[in-house]
Amino acid sequence: MLYEITFILNGEERRLGVQPNETLLDVLRRKLGITSPKVGCERGDCGACTVKLNGLLVKSCLILAVEVNGREVTTIEGLMAKGLTPLQEMFMAKNSFQCGYCAPGMILAADDLLLRNPDPSDHQIKEALAGNLCRCTGYEPIIEAIKAVAANTKASAGQTRGGNNE
Amino acid sequence: MSKQEYKYIGQSTPRIDGKEKITGATCFVDDIQFGPNLLYAAIVESPHAHALIEKIDTGRAAKAPGVVKVVTGKEFPFRFGLYMHDRYVFAQDRVRFVGEQVAAVIARDPFTAKKAAALVEVQYKELVPLLNVFDAIGERPKSIIHPELKNYAHVPWFFPEADSNIAHFRKVRRGDIEKGFAEADLVYEDQYVVPRYAHCAIEVHAAVGLLDNSGRLTLWTASQSPHTQRHLFTQALAPLGFTHQDVRVISPAVGGGFGGKAGVSMEILAAALATVVKGSPVKILWSREQEFYNTYQRQGVHARLKVGVKHDGAITALEQTLYWDAGAYVEYGANVVNAAGLSATGPYRIPNIKMDSICVYTNLPPGGPYRGFGYSEFIFGLESHFNEIAKKLNMDAVAFRRKNAIREGDALAYGGKMNPNGLLEAIDKVAQAIEWDKEFPSADPNIAVGKGFSLFWKAPAMPPNASSSAFLKFNEDAGLNILVSAQEIGQGFLTAMAQVAAEVLGVPPDRIRVESPDTDRTPYEWQTVASHITWGCGNAVKRAAEDAREQIFDLVEKTLGKKRAALYLEDSAVKYLEEPGFNLPLKSFVIDGIMMADGTWRGGPVTGRGMFMPEFSSAVSDPETGQGGKPMVHYTVGASAIRIEIDKETGKIRIPKVVLAVDAGKAINPGLIRGQIVGGLLQGLATVLYEDMRFNDKGKLLNPNFTDYKIPTALDIPAEIVPIIIEVPQPDGPFGARGIGEHTMIPAAPIVANAVEDALGIRIKSMPITAEKIAMAIKKMEENKR
Amino acid sequence: MGFAKEFEYFKPTGLKEAVSLLSAHRNTAILAGGTDLVVEIKGGPAAPDVVVDIKGLSELAGISFSGNVLRIGALVTFTQLLQSEVVRQFFPVLQEMAATVASGAVRNRATMAGNICSAVPCMNSGPVMCLYDARVTLFGPRGERTVAARDWFTGVRRTAIQESEILTSIAFPVPAPRQGACFVKLGRYAGEDLAQVLVAVLVLPGHQYRVGFGAVAPVPLRAARIEALLQGKVPDGALIRAAQDLIDIEIAPITDIRAGKEYRLHMAKVMFKRALTAALQRFQGAGPAYGTPLI
Repeated sequence: MLYEITFILNGEERRLGVQPNETLLDVLRRKLGITSPKVGCERGDCGACTVKLNGLLVKSCLILAVEVNGREVTTIEGLMAKGLTPLQEMFMAKNSFQCGYCAPGMILAADDLLLRNPDPSDHQIKEALAGNLCRCTGYEPIIEAIKAVAANTKASAGQTRGGNNE
Repeated sequence: MSKQEYKYIGQSTPRIDGKEKITGATCFVDDIQFGPNLLYAAIVESPHAHALIEKIDTGRAAKAPGVVKVVTGKEFPFRFGLYMHDRYVFAQDRVRFVGEQVAAVIARDPFTAKKAAALVEVQYKELVPLLNVFDAIGERPKSIIHPELKNYAHVPWFFPEADSNIAHFRKVRRGDIEKGFAEADLVYEDQYVVPRYAHCAIEVHAAVGLLDNSGRLTLWTASQSPHTQRHLFTQALAPLGFTHQDVRVISPAVGGGFGGKAGVSMEILAAALATVVKGSPVKILWSREQEFYNTYQRQGVHARLKVGVKHDGAITALEQTLYWDAGAYVEYGANVVNAAGLSATGPYRIPNIKMDSICVYTNLPPGGPYRGFGYSEFIFGLESHFNEIAKKLNMDAVAFRRKNAIREGDALAYGGKMNPNGLLEAIDKVAQAIEWDKEFPSADPNIAVGKGFSLFWKAPAMPPNASSSAFLKFNEDAGLNILVSAQEIGQGFLTAMAQVAAEVLGVPPDRIRVESPDTDRTPYEWQTVASHITWGCGNAVKRAAEDAREQIFDLVEKTLGKKRAALYLEDSAVKYLEEPGFNLPLKSFVIDGIMMADGTWRGGPVTGRGMFMPEFSSAVSDPETGQGGKPMVHYTVGASAIRIEIDKETGKIRIPKVVLAVDAGKAINPGLIRGQIVGGLLQGLATVLYEDMRFNDKGKLLNPNFTDYKIPTALDIPAEIVPIIIEVPQPDGPFGARGIGEHTMIPAAPIVANAVEDALGIRIKSMPITAEKIAMAIKKMEENKR
Repeated sequence: MGFAKEFEYFKPTGLKEAVSLLSAHRNTAILAGGTDLVVEIKGGPAAPDVVVDIKGLSELAGISFSGNVLRIGALVTFTQLLQSEVVRQFFPVLQEMAATVASGAVRNRATMAGNICSAVPCMNSGPVMCLYDARVTLFGPRGERTVAARDWFTGVRRTAIQESEILTSIAFPVPAPRQGACFVKLGRYAGEDLAQVLVAVLVLPGHQYRVGFGAVAPVPLRAARIEALLQGKVPDGALIRAAQDLIDIEIAPITDIRAGKEYRLHMAKVMFKRALTAALQRFQGAGPAYGTPLI
């Protein structure tokens, strides 16, 4: 039986019919053509399907599409609607990704971390990324990029404060 | 500018596909939209490891609403394979591993296909499964897994034994092994066991096939090997009338390969199924479970080693038998056995050698190529064994390696000569970086510290005529497209190729695109495997760029009267040593040509062509000794060391530092090499620390998921990884480069095993070396003491 | 690609409506965070015909603290537990436990209620729940009732919940004005893993001790013999060793693909000692910060 759902996807209201047993991942990829969240394991282990739901980082393979009715879903397309984010620029500069398959999910996880904690410790960064598997990079260049963005944010915040004191 | 000063080679240039990856724009096979006519296939799989198929009833499935077609092996009674024709599209008269495809249901949506697949009824008669190498060999094994083995076509360098489960027996004999042992002051024998491993690329295998109404068969596959796939599809389906011209393979992007997306595994199903639903594309997307049990696995190996040494540490003799658990089909895996068999001496000078590398059929998933191609598998035993010997001689482990390290010009096991290499430099630099001679005493009596060392090497394992080719075309703005059929699997080869072309043509890498493979549009590449693309495809691209450069110089010389020898390319322009002010931008003529005084034009679109195929490689050798032939084009060598801390109560290992040095010949992009070292080391460490494949006694894989087959997370990385790049040029490599992609994983297992022994005095001879194994070994040791 | 089992979906807006739905249909499943249920429908063993989504029941949301009792609503996620100031203040070991559940994106959805309803032996929450003699409140066709932690887990994947009942909240009474506790989880590596052994220790004034184990028996348990041995004493080396020896008979670990029986037994002893040591130190206001890995 088709259930009609209405939700905000990357800032735009969408309305469609879904079966209860369709996951959010299925519906995003196959019905709405948003292919940035990926199929990696469909059990919530790998994080390739990561999206944001009402601002919270979630695994879309573990969410039934019907559950997002009345809610807001953000994928990486929504994140960069106004242009590349500082995180994305830094990931590019540091060659943080190799095959790129884990990237959309990983970038959302990194974005979520810095929103919650703009100055994370190394351990906090690793913790935040621990739900996103990457087989290629060994994680180091991803962590370095996040640290660099956090440091830049801290530095420019410091400059602003300094400026105000003059 | 001297030859050794490069503008683009040697720079850690940002990846030219970086923006695509960080925006999620990369389009993988499952991302391609095929429209409402797309069909989906679900596979009916064998629950048995070894059984005869007595009857398949597809009636109920075929009648289910939404089902378009149901097929079984009857529709495709064709045998195929890369190095040996021992595989089928669907099982024919029997199944040989749990999960093997027996039938398929094609339906309008994936749910319907899956539900209907459960309605296909198969009757089996179980046979005795062979789940262990030693059950499969010997006088009278309980089953013969491939009764038709003697009729299988195969490459001339394989030696199957008829009416047995031995698919290939590679022998290497050099010198006089008995004399070698007689000369030794110490002879030491032992055995080592390495189980199977899974690639675990985050992208699962995916394939879509379309036989259009004109009879053209197109496949979209996540593949390291589009041309080889096209060849194998055509061979397999030739009885249906297909030729190479009828078949096209497009591989848009690959989300991690590691060898698992080389050759042909599940993709043959898309090719075959497309032929029964002409006019509609049909997709097969593997689940993560199928990814584990029905794609290539890294083969298990049981190694028996016997080594003789003199008091001063010189190795006099090496006898090694490698029993490979190669799985149900060995069309690719047998070459792993072959490559290992020829190189399982490691990078050492050994005068007397006897090696047997035996490829054994078992009723387990097919073994195949995995980063390291047999070298990751054999090095655990070899380097553990050498460490034990060094210890027995009271000789420092690094000194032992230095003493016996192979040098340029030394004889290789099969009779060839070792290429130029920086092995000694690698040993010294690694020893220095890990501070090998320094003590790191533990303040905590419960924490044991240890360090481990290992050498490594690997040569590309390829047919002697494995080739690469490249086209290069300019665009109006003097940017250019390089067309090759090598595949970007994350290693960064697109960028390396751009840098090669940039160096020759003076066009910066960010103006260069390297296109993904399409067998209709990009010229032949054997496969993206063997760490040979930087070398082979790099040579082809360099030649294509040189070809284009020559055309450019021809044109300028001819039309503008400049002396060719004084022309050079820089900053996307032609410049002239004799006239510092001369600057002819490429964009002014690379499409349009140059206009003469009379208004006519010369030149036109500049397109370059390059090809590289080694002409010195040969797989012809004596089946009894392995001598003759030159099967390996060159070896890449290196060394690695690790320092660990072990919590003696829990057995858990912490890694404060790991170092790896690899001789890249010439590092085209040092940053990308660093990426391979960090990523490869972590993948290797995972195999020795916690990746653990478990089969039950019926041959079923019990942990086909990330819940119970653990691959590293960001929390599992070593505290410090030190990458070291050595550069002893490869004479026939582009700018001196050779490949390193697989090598960075190879030494990980033995450095840990050796460090554990150093820390605890316990030699663990099987992988994985889990916390549980260590804790229980410590407990046993302490109980024995009491 | 999704999963083949078809089912109906309802999202009630009130508790009574939810219970009616559960009573009216056969073969139902309750959906909260879904991080267990969705996986179990995909790959088995769950195969419901009707899924009742309880996320619309606002009465099940929220953490409250009054009368020295912490009440965790059924919809409270592990992330919310980790962000709660009142949990940090009164039950920091709950946060120590919550932090080891899966990963951040899963914790944003998974609920402690769902965890204890799954009752899989490796479930993180069980030992801590037993440690504090927590109480589970249920609402069903016959109204509301409460079940004590020690009666909640009845077997592997089995709890005291009855047909058409919904778990509405879990209550943790504060045992004393001062406490020190420690939760330790054994995984195969530093990344997320289902527990192979769980140990939880609580130190209370007057040398009172509570010791809980999980993943080493069909249900999480309190180690009554060990508690009796330790009660009223200051543990020294010999006492701890004697307590460790009792672990042999307190727990019944199995061998499975994750770990062997012998290693589990061995680790239960190691983890118990380290947990007890840390809990004692924390009771004194010292010791490692909650969340510091001890193994």
